This record gives sequence, C-alpha cells and structure tokens, in this order.
Amino acid sequence: MKAEKLKGHLDLLLLSVLSRGPGHGYEVITRLRVRSDGAFQLPEGTVYPALHRLEGAGLLVSGWDVVAGRRRRIYHLTPAGEAALAEQAAQWREFSGSMARVLGVSAGPAPAAAGGAA
Amino acid sequence: MNGGTADAPSDPIEDYLDRLLISLSGSPRQVRHTLAEVEAHLHDAVAEGIAAGLPEETAQVQALERIGPVHAVTGRPAGIARPSAALLRRLTLTAALVGGAGLAAIGVAGLVGRLLQVVKGNLFMTTPFPPGTYTQADCARWLAGDPGTRSCVTAMLADHAFDYLLQAAACGLLGLAGLATYLFLRRRWSDRATTTALPAGTAEGLGAILAGIAAVACFGQAADLETVQRGVGVGEPLSLGIAAAVAAVAFALALRHRLRVARLRAS
Repeated sequence: MKAEKLKGHLDLLLLSVLSRGPGHGYEVITRLRVRSDGAFQLPEGTVYPALHRLEGAGLLVSGWDVVAGRRRRIYHLTPAGEAALAEQAAQWREFSGSMARVLGVSAGPAPAAAGGAA
Repeated sequence: MNGGTADAPSDPIEDYLDRLLISLSGSPRQVRHTLAEVEAHLHDAVAEGIAAGLPEETAQVQALERIGPVHAVTGRPAGIARPSAALLRRLTLTAALVGGAGLAAIGVAGLVGRLLQVVKGNLFMTTPFPPGTYTQADCARWLAGDPGTRSCVTAMLADHAFDYLLQAAACGLLGLAGLATYLFLRRRWSDRATTTALPAGTAEGLGAILAGIAAVACFGQAADLETVQRGVGVGEPLSLGIAAAVAAVAFALALRHRLRVARLRAS
C-alpha cells in the first residue's frame, strides 16, 4: 500500500501495535509489516516523528533500555493512549463499515480497541 | 558495517547519520536521542539483511532505502530549518523572565529614586532644561502642577521628577505582570523538552549579563553627572544603576543555583 494512503492512519496503527506490548522503533515497524502481511510499506523513518509526536501528546511514554547489546528507546502506551486507541478504533470501524455498505462489499474483520488486535 | 573513523566517507550509514545530525532540530537531548534511535534502527536493518544472506554493502543500501530520506525522520521537508516548538516555548519563558525582571527592576529604581528625591531633592534627581529652551506656556503648565512654588525651574524639576517616578512605577507594574506570566507559563510548560531546549541557566545568565551592563552604564552616567554637573540630575541614573546592580546580583545567584541543580541532576 502506498505511504500516502497510510499517512492519516499512522497514529492509529502505531497505537494499536504498541497496545500488544512495549517496543522500540524498529520492533514497531517490524510488527506493523508482519501484521499487515507486508502490505504496509512506508519509509521507515516516518515512524519516528510520529512516535515522538504521540509521546509529546501524552499517548506514549518512552524510556531507554539495553536490548541485544544496543541502547533502545522503548515506547509504552499510556492510559491516555489506550483511550485514544479505543476512540480511533471505534471511529475506524464506523467509517469502514459505512464504506463497505456503500460499496456493497464485506468490511472484513473489524479492528479491535485498546488491548486487542487492530 | 565498518566501525569507521570519524571522517570515513565510504560508510553510507555514517554519512546518513551525519546528514541527520545537522538536520535535526530541538534540544541537544532530543537530537541525541533521535540520532541514537535511528542509528540502532539502521544497525538492526543491516543485521537483518546480512542474516538474510545479503552482502554487507547491499544490506546497508537496502536499510537506507527502507528508512527513507533524512527529512522523513526529521518530519519536515528538506531544506526547511525551523526552531522546535519546545525551543520557542523556552525562548518565550526566557523573554518573560528577563523582560519581566528588567521592568520590575525599573520599578525598584523608582522606589530608590523616590527615596533620593526625599533625601536630596528634585535638583539631585533630574536636570533642568537650559534657559531659552522652554516657553512661558511650559512654565505655566509646570507651575499649575506645583502650586506651592513661584519658580519656573523648581516647578519644572518637580514635574520631571514626578514623570520619572510615574514611568518607573508603570514599568514596575508591567514587570510584575511579566513575571506573573513567566510563573504561569513555567508551570504550564514544565515538560522535559521545553526545560532542556536551552542549556540550564541560559535565562539567568542572560539576565545577569544585561543587568550588569545596565548597572555599569548607569553608574558611569551618574559619575559623569556628579563630576560635570556637580551632582545635578544624578538621581535618575544612580537609582537605575542601583536597581540594575541588585537585579544582576539576583540573576547571578539564581544562575549559580540553577547550575548547581543541573550538576546534581547530571551526577
């Protein structure tokens, strides 16, 4: 999928990936790629400003840790991030459901809210 | 990947990190953190490529293609350099503190001036206009403001001294408003990015330097008036110099405290 199409949904995707557990930047990107079966291909660097923006908004919090012999910045979802994820996931379900009804196609599995799969 | 010397031009990962370093905006800490994050990312990506059977050079090229151009990481189009929001917030705080304290110091100078006026009189406070440079109408206006005297020069001096004290009081009130704004904004912008956007003690150091320069200039002018005009008009620069010196000492003490706290946090 083109990076432009993902732009408006990147925050939701990152929050969803991190709702499965804390992770560093590269881990987040890898999870995103794996969970989308390789469909979500975006310049990996764009994930960092998004992570920093979400942290600035209080939806994520980060700390430094040594993983596999290398210093990593590990991001965790905050309670505010969980609430934002639940809200954005609900909005996405509503939007995709409406689109599916208009197009006359199946919406597919709905994304789950905080703590669930997205 | 080559460990490389600092200037090794052949390592594309190092070259990328160099370009990123000079493109990142924000506090030194934010820049260091982002650089460390991206460096770890690139090492991971190269290691993944090598594990998949790619030669190191190919794995490096692939890692750089995947992460995208430097401006993807900085989050803004290439070539546009702008200060971060945290830096703008910190500059606003600095301006509010230094500006507020400066204006408040002028208010203090007014209090000192009032004391000097009571003790030494209006002629010590302000310099009269030379004869011939004012009109009868000016005289009438000054005398109307000081009905207790029939001397135009005495009324003029009283008027000038009053103007000085009034303006100093207005500056003092503005300064208090500026300092209140500073305290309000400091509580509101107490996030780490803002507090580390400039080195610790920047505002205090700047305030100490500016107040010190102002004190020297005012004392110099007061000394000049004392010598040339035999004390006439010394009160204004002297009161301003005293207030500026007090502000400089206060800023210097605050700077010492701020640096001590920063050292303790760092250790």
